[in-house]
Amino acid sequence: MTALAVTGATLARVLRDRTALFFMVLLPVAIIVVIGVTVSGFDQFRIGLVPAAQAGPVARELTSDLQEAPGLRTRTYDTPDDARTALRRAELDAVVMVPNGLDADVRAGRSVSVPVLVEPSGSAGHGAVSSVSAVVAEHAARLQAARFASDETGGPFDDTLALARTAERTASPIVVRSETVNGQSDFLPLGYSYSTPTMLVLFVFINALAGGAAIVQTRRTGVYARALAAPVAARTLVFGETIAYLLLAVLQSLLIVGIGALAFDVAWGDPLAAGALVTVWALVGTGAGVLAGALFRTPEQVHAIGPALGIGLGMLGGCMWPLALVPDWLRSAGHAVPHAWAVDAWTTLLSRDGDLAAILRDLGVLAAFATALLTLASLSLRHRLTTSAGA
Amino acid sequence: MRVVLAIAAKDLRQRLRDRSAWVIVFLAPVLISALMALAFNNNDEFRANLGVVDLDRGPAAAGLTRVLKSPELEGTVHVRSYDSEVAARRAVDAGDVHAAIVVPKGFTESLHGGGAEPVRVLDSVDYGLQAQLAEAVTESYVAQVNADRLSVATAVAAGAQETDVPELAAKAALLRLPEDVRAQGLPDDPLKVISYFGPSMGMFFVLFTVGFGARGYFIEQQQGTLDRIAAAPVGRGALLIGKSVSTFVYSLAGLATVTVVSWLAFDASWADPVGVAALSVAMAVCVVCLTALVIALVRTEQQAQGLASILVFALVLLGGNFVFASGTTPAIRTLALFTPNGWALRGFTDLGTGVRGWEAVGAPLLGIAAFSLVVVAVTALLLRVRRTP
Amino acid sequence: MKNVLECSHLVRRFGERTAVDDVSLSIAPGETYGLLGPNGAGKTTTIRMVCGLLRPDAGTVHVAGLPVNTAAGPAKQLIGFVPQDVALYPDLSVRENLRFFGRLYRLPRRRLERRVDEVLHLIDLGGRARDRVDSLSGGMRRRLNIGAGLVHSPTLLVLDEPTVGVDPQSRHAILESVTRFGEEGMAVLYTTHYMEEAERLCDRVGIIDRGGLVAEGTPRELVALVAERDRVRLTAVGGLTAYADACRRLARVEGAARSGDKGDVVELVVKDARSLLPDLLDLAHALDVGIRSVEIDEPDLEAVFLHLTGTALRE
Repeated sequence: MTALAVTGATLARVLRDRTALFFMVLLPVAIIVVIGVTVSGFDQFRIGLVPAAQAGPVARELTSDLQEAPGLRTRTYDTPDDARTALRRAELDAVVMVPNGLDADVRAGRSVSVPVLVEPSGSAGHGAVSSVSAVVAEHAARLQAARFASDETGGPFDDTLALARTAERTASPIVVRSETVNGQSDFLPLGYSYSTPTMLVLFVFINALAGGAAIVQTRRTGVYARALAAPVAARTLVFGETIAYLLLAVLQSLLIVGIGALAFDVAWGDPLAAGALVTVWALVGTGAGVLAGALFRTPEQVHAIGPALGIGLGMLGGCMWPLALVPDWLRSAGHAVPHAWAVDAWTTLLSRDGDLAAILRDLGVLAAFATALLTLASLSLRHRLTTSAGA
Repeated sequence: MRVVLAIAAKDLRQRLRDRSAWVIVFLAPVLISALMALAFNNNDEFRANLGVVDLDRGPAAAGLTRVLKSPELEGTVHVRSYDSEVAARRAVDAGDVHAAIVVPKGFTESLHGGGAEPVRVLDSVDYGLQAQLAEAVTESYVAQVNADRLSVATAVAAGAQETDVPELAAKAALLRLPEDVRAQGLPDDPLKVISYFGPSMGMFFVLFTVGFGARGYFIEQQQGTLDRIAAAPVGRGALLIGKSVSTFVYSLAGLATVTVVSWLAFDASWADPVGVAALSVAMAVCVVCLTALVIALVRTEQQAQGLASILVFALVLLGGNFVFASGTTPAIRTLALFTPNGWALRGFTDLGTGVRGWEAVGAPLLGIAAFSLVVVAVTALLLRVRRTP
Repeated sequence: MKNVLECSHLVRRFGERTAVDDVSLSIAPGETYGLLGPNGAGKTTTIRMVCGLLRPDAGTVHVAGLPVNTAAGPAKQLIGFVPQDVALYPDLSVRENLRFFGRLYRLPRRRLERRVDEVLHLIDLGGRARDRVDSLSGGMRRRLNIGAGLVHSPTLLVLDEPTVGVDPQSRHAILESVTRFGEEGMAVLYTTHYMEEAERLCDRVGIIDRGGLVAEGTPRELVALVAERDRVRLTAVGGLTAYADACRRLARVEGAARSGDKGDVVELVVKDARSLLPDLLDLAHALDVGIRSVEIDEPDLEAVFLHLTGTALRE
């Protein structure tokens, strides 16, 4: 019962603090939006398009073919310089410059080269060129057919071009068909389904660490000392605090899960498994928070070092980018922090329709982390409370 | 002047004595940039490991493999051959290759007319871009064949005799597609991850010190030392400048540490060291202005801490310190230009891609200056409204 | 010789409340002036105006003939200010603190170092010069707090309740050093609500109550104000507040207040205690107050205060 009084007091203090609420809900949601918007469309090449200054129908057709190509995300630029700058800044993978004399050259039977600017080293440039090539080739096929028909039958080019378009619809070309073999993704889905679970992992942890600052504060104001002067065991105090921060972590998780599901359409997968994962992760965060509360000397230290530590661990553990992208040794090193296991488990739930059994191993590791952290935290907090003079 | 220096030196001494300040301004950004540099050591390069299954065993299929191994795609595409489709599927499934192209039996024959079985690309959900590339290369390769077939069909539709088809087909086979794509490399340097995220993390943590500075002011007010300074023959101006100088020096030291470490240890590159310095100085000035704003806005240490955190996170989120600005949507890139750090990062992006001098940092410097001026104006207004002594 | 401090007609209002109302006082060189009054009487507000921390709504302050205002005038160079709280940087060392506050007064480097050593010796912290302030005991911090106001050798030292919450030993040391400053020719403005400190230290005392200066003079002069009067201390049980109120309404009672550590004392300033005593006892009986003891004293500053304000200093 006494423990519950401690829990109640702590919850009331935190929930009354508007800054804490900002960090608990508003900031994570804002970051989820920014990252969610950023990591969508990774399966398309980003193409800048500079249309011809005087575009005839052929040039216009090429432009619209490029704009409608499913593998390309195009953005039109007014001047070549703007497009070039965007490419240099890596805002684009390639820039297609539709040549000015395209119509005239094609009608005159000349071959045309469409210049595509790319970043010569690195990046997705060459892949983008190939994708543009495929669209241009399809366009060129129609031109070749129209010119051939025009040469053979003496009909005007524009008529045969129209015929070529019709013929294309009925033709049976050699098709390239893709088939997805590996549906078992190593990554979270793109967009909000990527950013929401990773930020859930990141922020529940960071927020729990920040909670440690409140524990340090209470320690220093002597409230604990006063409580211990009452017939309350140190064990009870520690337990009460732990429950409070656990509840806060669960509350924060539920808010993020709820907002993710309602506002961002995140499918959280098997509810039982997701629930277990949220709970275990809240325990890990609470353990880390109480430990911080026991180890640090001043609340300022926690405020300063907490976020840096949280972000660093989050990066190591794959909250900021998928661990499947990084070198092997770094991926292994990343699994030394609990975040990696949590993100792995979310990936299983969201991308592979996993159930509780599928994430049992991850849950086991996380539970071990939680147990270790909580034990260490309660031992050291109790030690602080019962031995040091000024707590 | 001596008084200003005395105040600045005292503030700096206090900050340097605070170990968490060291962590925040010097250690954390360096460690996090290092982590990013390590994580994206080679991964800024796009690579596609493609499997090829040649069931055709004719010259056409060999031609496709040759395209994949052509000089333009060298360095991007790595080809591995598989004997059977089953083996290729297994390889894609295991992640050994990102995608595999299966050239069907009878592919070579289909080029000369007749039934065409589709060429299939086996892909994996995680490597959409690589699948896209495999598909595109294959499509480009079959494009000529398809174009020739289309030419014959169009000629027939335009009135050529059906009986002439074999002759037409022979003629069409000599045609070349009238449009092709010519890739041109840009002359500038590609942007390295560390050239962006080094300064980005530096700015993030230096902005964090706005909270420190503002809190420090209220702590001084509380412990009475501010009164003591006011009782000395020290003008408010000298006090303000002294405190600003220390914040400035501290912020600049933080930014300088990250940029120098990124440069020396992690190979970040910027075209123009003077530009880097100018951006860092501008950001440090801006941190001073923001600190003053927070002090003018709030009344207590706790409020200072809270407001500073919210302000900093809002700026950092909008400005693109957490996500690569160039990778986001144009809307977010536009929003970033309402923040000083967003401007600075644009400057670092340009410097990191070989642009020098005013062209790279001119607009960013003006942007940061405009932001700082607005902050100063608001601060001055607030101080005028609530002047106390 | 010219006065070191000259305040004339100082007024300061905070909203509706007038914290300081037309206070004028002056301090001669080498003089120690005590500003005596209960909490909230306006002592700190007066001091803040003297030191140029607060702008008066009316009136002027001059130090050695130079006007003091909130800007950084040359007058501030002459004032040493010792705030009520320990206003030091806990994370800097003793020497660093002294040096910093000395530099604010633009002391040349060599003179600064010499003065810091002198002050360290004076406040007896020479052995702890390199230690951080937060490692010092409360008494040491108090001494350093005063020392930080002395580095630039001020002409006028202003101490705002320097002995509040100080252990008896440190308090003794502080009082000793203040006496010494006076002897060395420094003018001292000293606020306190401890009567005995004012009596012991000060050449002149001003009594301030509810923002106004109600009396001023040497302790002896002030006591003379109540020379014909006696101070009566009744230790009693019962409704003492009502009793004190009732006493105050008696003729010849000039002040009555409840005081004492346990609140079990009623203090009175009366004319001719001997003849009044039966009345007081009757009144006690009527109000069902049980008198345990009665003391009749010669008047002191405490009595002066009671006489002038009608209330006790530490109510």
